[in-house]
Amino acid sequence: MTKEYAFFRGCFVPVRLPHLEAVSQKVFSELGVSLVNLNDFTCCPEPVGVGINDKMTWLSLAARNLAVAEECGLDVITICNGCTYTLRHAQRNLNKNKQLRNKINETISDTGHEYRGTVKVSHFLEVLKNEVGMKKLKSAVKRPLSGLTIATHTGCHILSPKEVMEFDDPFDPTVLDDLVAVLGATPADYDMKTMCCGWTLMTYGSREGAYALLKDKLGNMKLAKSDCITVVCPQCFYQFDMGQWIASRKDIPQYNLPVLFYLQLLGLAMDYNLQDIGYDSHKVKNPEFENKIK
Amino acid sequence: MPVSIEYKAKNELLQKFPKIEICLKCNTCALVCPVQYAGFSPTNTYVNNVFSAPEPEKNPNIWLCVSCHKCEEICPYEVKPTEVIEALKDEAFEKGYAPEAIREEINQVLTVGFAFPIFQSLGFINRERGRRGLQPLGERKVEEIRKIAAKTGLANKMVRGKTK
Repeated sequence: MTKEYAFFRGCFVPVRLPHLEAVSQKVFSELGVSLVNLNDFTCCPEPVGVGINDKMTWLSLAARNLAVAEECGLDVITICNGCTYTLRHAQRNLNKNKQLRNKINETISDTGHEYRGTVKVSHFLEVLKNEVGMKKLKSAVKRPLSGLTIATHTGCHILSPKEVMEFDDPFDPTVLDDLVAVLGATPADYDMKTMCCGWTLMTYGSREGAYALLKDKLGNMKLAKSDCITVVCPQCFYQFDMGQWIASRKDIPQYNLPVLFYLQLLGLAMDYNLQDIGYDSHKVKNPEFENKIK
Repeated sequence: MPVSIEYKAKNELLQKFPKIEICLKCNTCALVCPVQYAGFSPTNTYVNNVFSAPEPEKNPNIWLCVSCHKCEEICPYEVKPTEVIEALKDEAFEKGYAPEAIREEINQVLTVGFAFPIFQSLGFINRERGRRGLQPLGERKVEEIRKIAAKTGLANKMVRGKTK
């Protein structure tokens, strides 16, 4: 039976990385999960730039988004760590604090929505692991990626704070490694695995700092003989792809590590070619990696 | 570098977050903090810098924090620097010290419902989406966002912050 989810695309993917939206739709429909676009969703809103500076607005807009999915009777699937962080914080705060929930519901009442607390929010990795299951994933693999060593980067906001996100160990995450191993590839064992990608540093403060961070992090991936990087968040994707490209023109070595969203990797294992997963719009390409996909 | 208590603002900060006083400057947080790359060192960590600035809410460095919560998870004394930094950002935003990039992003969310600028390039975005077999992006429910922002006071804060 096809399970339906309200597809929370966020802002970054539909605007700057539409190829990731397309590949998500394709891969999930083949796995028997249908992603439904709801037009009423707005920005989650983004936690670091918006959320922290005005908590009440942050929670209210997030509650409105959750209510939109509830009204359609659908659980939410996200493809961004930031969206997951925002929606799950709102959910947790409103579910355990009745007073706050009433206050927020009063705030959003003019919009005709009401948050009741019945919706579940899952990052797509959780859907793959718990809903689709390792067994089904394994049988979906038509072309094992056995020649590849892959550096996994789970990102920050899906891991911490641990008691809110309840996803994986913040200092030793293994879920993504397991999901990479299912595809037949080898997860790389590299230092600084849980260090941030540096996206926020690049956006709100210190470009030089972000380059230095990339130099160390990518260097460690290279040391562990990685062929490519896999990520589960569009900001991490952009930072490792575009960020690596920009940084390599400044003062960091040419690492040439292609970045793949986990769903692109899954697509490759399901026998899509590089064109199908939108590799043409990547900034960092590496022929050595491409040859291993043949 | 001990936390200075000479300043009035510092006293207020300590009163609000008494756990700051427990901070031993063991610098364990520096091992996992991405902001360390922005010119900090193990003997002058980012967290020290935030805790010991004379007027902490005016310290531009507070905006570098990613809220990755790694410091609070590794801290052996449960100091929770993220909480302090987030509260300082909140206060700084209210008083009009937020950098333009932050204000602009909030403005985007309030006026178009996206956290990123899209208007000038919507045609390009939709062409690219079409090439991938995706529907063009439509308008988001900005009217509803406006109603919420008016009620929470964010709309007013944005106007007030501008005059500073």
